[in-house]
Amino acid sequence: MRFRKPIVALSAAGLLALAACGGGDGGSSNNGGEKVDRETLGNVGSGQDPEREGPVEIEGAQEGGIATVYTQVGLTTSIDPSDLYYTDTSAIGSGLLFRSLTQYDRDPETGQMVLIPDLATDLGTPNEDFTEWTFEIRDGVRWETGEEVTAEDVAYGIIRSMDNKTFPGGPGLYFSNPYFLGGDKYKGPFTSGTTEQEAVSVDGNKVIIKMSKPFPDFPYYGSFPAMGPIPEGEDDPDEYALRPMSTGPYKIKEYTPAKTLVLERNTEWDPATDPGRTQYPDGYEFKAGVQIDQIDQIMLGDKGEGQTSMTYEDISAQTYRTMQNEAPDRVVTGTSPCTYYYAPDYRKIKDIKIREALMWALPYNDLMVTGGYIPEVNAFPASQLMAPGVAGRVDIDLFGHGEFETDPDKAKQLLEESGNLGYEIKFPWRTDNDINTKSKDVLIKALEAAGFKATPVATTEAKFEGDIIDNPDSEVNVRSGMGWCQDWPSGSTWIPPVFQSVDIKELGQFGTNYAAFNEPEVDQKINEVFELPAEEQADAWGKLEEEIMTKYLPIIPYFHSGVVVAHGSKIQGYEIDNNLGMPAYKDIWISE
Amino acid sequence: MAGYIVRRLLSAALVVVLTSMFVFALFFLGPANAARPLCDLNGRCNPEKLALLTEQLGLNDSVVNQYGIWAKGLVSDREIVFGPTFHCDAPCLGISYSTRGEVTTELFDRFPATISVAIGGGALYLVIGVVLGVVAAARRGTVVDRGLVAASLVIYSIPFYVVALVAWIFFSLEWGIFPDTTYHPISEGVGPWFWGLLLPWLVLGFTNSTTYARYTRGQMVETLGEDYIRTATAKGVRRSKVLFKHALRAAIVPVITLFGLDFAYLLTGTIFLEQIFQIDGIGRWAIEALRDPIDFPVVSATVLVGAIVIVVANLLVDIFYSFIDPRVRLA
Amino acid sequence: MAITPAALEEGVVADATGAEPVAGKSPTQIALRRLRKDKVAMFCAFLVLVMTVLAILAPVITGAMNIYWDVSHPDAPTGSEVLDVYGFPIIGPPFNGFTWEHPLGLAPRTGSDNLAYLLYGLRTSMIVAFSAAVLSTFIGVVIGLVSGFSRGWVDRVLSFITDMFLSFPSLLAMLALAPIIVSHFGGNLDLLGTVQFVTLIVILVIFGWMSLARLIRGQVLSLREREFIQAAEVIGVPTRQILFKELLPNLIAPIVITLSLNLPAFVALEAGLSFLGLGLSDIPSLGKMVSDARTYYSDYPLFLWVPVAAIGVLTLALNLLGDSVRDAFDPRTRR
Repeated sequence: MRFRKPIVALSAAGLLALAACGGGDGGSSNNGGEKVDRETLGNVGSGQDPEREGPVEIEGAQEGGIATVYTQVGLTTSIDPSDLYYTDTSAIGSGLLFRSLTQYDRDPETGQMVLIPDLATDLGTPNEDFTEWTFEIRDGVRWETGEEVTAEDVAYGIIRSMDNKTFPGGPGLYFSNPYFLGGDKYKGPFTSGTTEQEAVSVDGNKVIIKMSKPFPDFPYYGSFPAMGPIPEGEDDPDEYALRPMSTGPYKIKEYTPAKTLVLERNTEWDPATDPGRTQYPDGYEFKAGVQIDQIDQIMLGDKGEGQTSMTYEDISAQTYRTMQNEAPDRVVTGTSPCTYYYAPDYRKIKDIKIREALMWALPYNDLMVTGGYIPEVNAFPASQLMAPGVAGRVDIDLFGHGEFETDPDKAKQLLEESGNLGYEIKFPWRTDNDINTKSKDVLIKALEAAGFKATPVATTEAKFEGDIIDNPDSEVNVRSGMGWCQDWPSGSTWIPPVFQSVDIKELGQFGTNYAAFNEPEVDQKINEVFELPAEEQADAWGKLEEEIMTKYLPIIPYFHSGVVVAHGSKIQGYEIDNNLGMPAYKDIWISE
Repeated sequence: MAGYIVRRLLSAALVVVLTSMFVFALFFLGPANAARPLCDLNGRCNPEKLALLTEQLGLNDSVVNQYGIWAKGLVSDREIVFGPTFHCDAPCLGISYSTRGEVTTELFDRFPATISVAIGGGALYLVIGVVLGVVAAARRGTVVDRGLVAASLVIYSIPFYVVALVAWIFFSLEWGIFPDTTYHPISEGVGPWFWGLLLPWLVLGFTNSTTYARYTRGQMVETLGEDYIRTATAKGVRRSKVLFKHALRAAIVPVITLFGLDFAYLLTGTIFLEQIFQIDGIGRWAIEALRDPIDFPVVSATVLVGAIVIVVANLLVDIFYSFIDPRVRLA
Repeated sequence: MAITPAALEEGVVADATGAEPVAGKSPTQIALRRLRKDKVAMFCAFLVLVMTVLAILAPVITGAMNIYWDVSHPDAPTGSEVLDVYGFPIIGPPFNGFTWEHPLGLAPRTGSDNLAYLLYGLRTSMIVAFSAAVLSTFIGVVIGLVSGFSRGWVDRVLSFITDMFLSFPSLLAMLALAPIIVSHFGGNLDLLGTVQFVTLIVILVIFGWMSLARLIRGQVLSLREREFIQAAEVIGVPTRQILFKELLPNLIAPIVITLSLNLPAFVALEAGLSFLGLGLSDIPSLGKMVSDARTYYSDYPLFLWVPVAAIGVLTLALNLLGDSVRDAFDPRTRR
């Protein structure tokens, strides 16, 4: 499944110090369906260019045409900028509709994402200890109504993101409230009923944000649409979610959640003020709820409207095979900074030997084929959580386990030695998902061959998240199909969210630690890394990950994911934003 | 005459009302909580969220009251609350859980697609069937007749959706004879609408015409044995005139009746066609809505609309019949 | 596919006893003798018999051939052993020659054996269709008998219910009912398979009894006026005995005809429901196989055509057989 919900990171790492490490490693998003260079996986978005100015022009690009974008699951979550935190809607939002303090732009030479200014004239100015950030808002930016976007509008948007009760799906809960001064007490304009708070203030055309603790990564957070303007007084949450106001090159013409999103040109958008975005097509039409095989068929067929269509759903291995032969130039591969893993419940599976046996027992290659993944294209063997390319990452040797290696005898031996032969693995099975139903059979066979007892626990696609993933009381003891994506390229957005203990009783859910991993020693070490000087943190995260994985094996890594998508013959410039694993909309145009 | 039509209208209305009650009961009386699918959307369903939605949807109310509120929505505007408050214009069939749009609006959006498929296909199979039936009856006992009967039996015997699937694969995908097979609203022009639906119509027409060919043939054979036909033939009336003017006129009445009764079957056919040819009509909508989490308002609306279409078709046929055949009114 | 009114109208047997009288033989015997002479019927009966035997022997055959539909079986080959990275089998069709190990090839992405799946799919089809046909016939006969024999409000109520079910959009209703019934038993995995299976039969029965009920009612209405029934009533034979001893034997023909025409209709409907994706989630079904194979029409045609042909042949044979049965029981329909 597409891992739509990314990231919760509780980072205080000095990312600015890492900025120099990013980029320059060669393209990781390439046309022609070639295999992806593994070394650059996850090595994304750490480049910065605070000097970039608009307007942007793409050589040879033509104006006109409507791009149709097909998706199966998309558009089911809110598109209110304050509530926007899923990879698909984030890419659409920040690429086409909503401007924010900063933005990402894809460097065509390296294929990497580069952080550049957006509404702010630069990437912000911190004070000495990163507890106060100042952004100067540029002139000449207008709402779709023609009115000027003021520093007050931006400040209000940032204040609004602190309302995590009204916007429970948004990033504010993970970044605004924890880091902003007084964010633990002030609950936003709707919940607290006032915009009076300590953190955000305006001085002329400057927005100043005060932190409760050092937040050197703010420029990255500034690229989230939640860190952009909202028109105060016209933003009733229920209504605004259906018709948010645009500041980007496109505005919403028609929007039906889970069905369609039609965008048209926003004539008030001035390219001169925007260092990243372009406005070549006349519009976009997003169609959601289309079945994967139907999307594949449209892409394969390349007829009529299909020629100006694209998708951000991975095409099936079968379609990839055909298109590689017939139309390799219409396949786009790229990376997404996500890792998939199996999460054994640490509270239930206490013996590390069982977890190790599980690692040997899992039928990686069989699951890959049944799941429709294409090894080395959109799935790369993993033996750790952090994707390759993240600064400071150490290649981990997990008990001598090879790439996608399955060894039932070894697993059985481990179970026998530890007296756990016949240990019952209970894992979720989504009965209304055909592929999952088949994968379930594959898993049963492999687990039983390795001396486990395999029991699938029936659920459905819709109840999966609530009943299994987020439910600490579920009877499953291994959560399959879990994934994690980084917020920005730092170990701090990988290790703490997945391995830091969570008070499950208090919270009623796992937070983002789906393995319910809880070791005071590890918690202690995570805090120690945060206290290190910024430049030492990257290596420290790498070392800590190695220690956690080899000492506790809290998760069984499955694969690092890639993206393999397709488009019609008239869509030009379709490349992958490998910070989100989504289309880089800013580069797209349509040929005649 | 008027009395008969009134009686018939009343019974049709009764069927529709009972159907709506049945549909309502199906979803709201069952042991599963009707708020649950809605609760499963947008994150975890916890007991508080479920309780709130149950309250907002009015599920704590008695079923009779709930039905009353629902039925009232058919004639007057309604406010529906789950999370935000939705305004729902009359006739209100609820707010879709997944799109949060008015079910009625979407229904009107999709209805033309289904009706286009059904009417076009239905007309085609009626015409093809009757013509083939008359031909077979006229050449009774010959190779043509036996060939028609055998072929119709074979086509009838193979499930309809298998034929549709094969037609789609070969005519649309492999050979590209009908490359753009899908529904275009007639507002985009009659041409695209016609060519887009031609293949589904032909599939529906050919597979279902067999039934009508057989039936028409049977009726014709019976009619052709009647005295007045013999008289006409003996008087030297041309064969074609005897067949089409005298015999068919009598034989067609039960065929038309059958056509009306067959409407349920026609709807079944369009559901498969919509699914195979990817036409966004009522049937495809219902199937989408049935995927977990079930979109109750949509499902109940589609079942209800299906029932209304069938009842109205039957009603029209009965009224049509009563004009033609006075004996019916006595029944 | 539901049996259409047209097929029934044609099958209406006004008077089953009207067959030509041959000394010492019951109408059923006569019909059977006629059927035996019908070459098409015999050929179809043979086909149906072969498929029934195959379905019954499915475990034996798959066991002997060492092939498996269930990839979780310990002896089944694993996906990575028999499939390439794109999910296509590396032995047998579509890219390699025929192999006796897997005569109909392997399913892409799972590596389950197509022949084994087909045999078990046939088994599902037949069990579902047979159970549904028998049950719906039983219900149809009972309601028809009661409704036809009891004049007055009972008849009117039953007739109204029958008409109402007939004007229901049955496919939509079936599709809507199935997940609702299943959801009431959901969660219990041991039961899930059984519940889905039983639910499928139940919904087929719910929307499958009406035509026979109407037919039987009509028959009973006319038979009721016949002397032998009136005589029985006059001499005080108990109602139940009149119904089952006197009336029922005269209704054998329409019952057999409906039963034999309902069988293929239910086979087609079961496959159709699973084709639409709302039948059985974890039990082999021909319709599901077709649905899975849809996208492989050009890369792996055999995978698609095998289940399509199986559904086609099974329903065709059953239908032709049913048609011959109708002709045999009621020669007047063959005009």
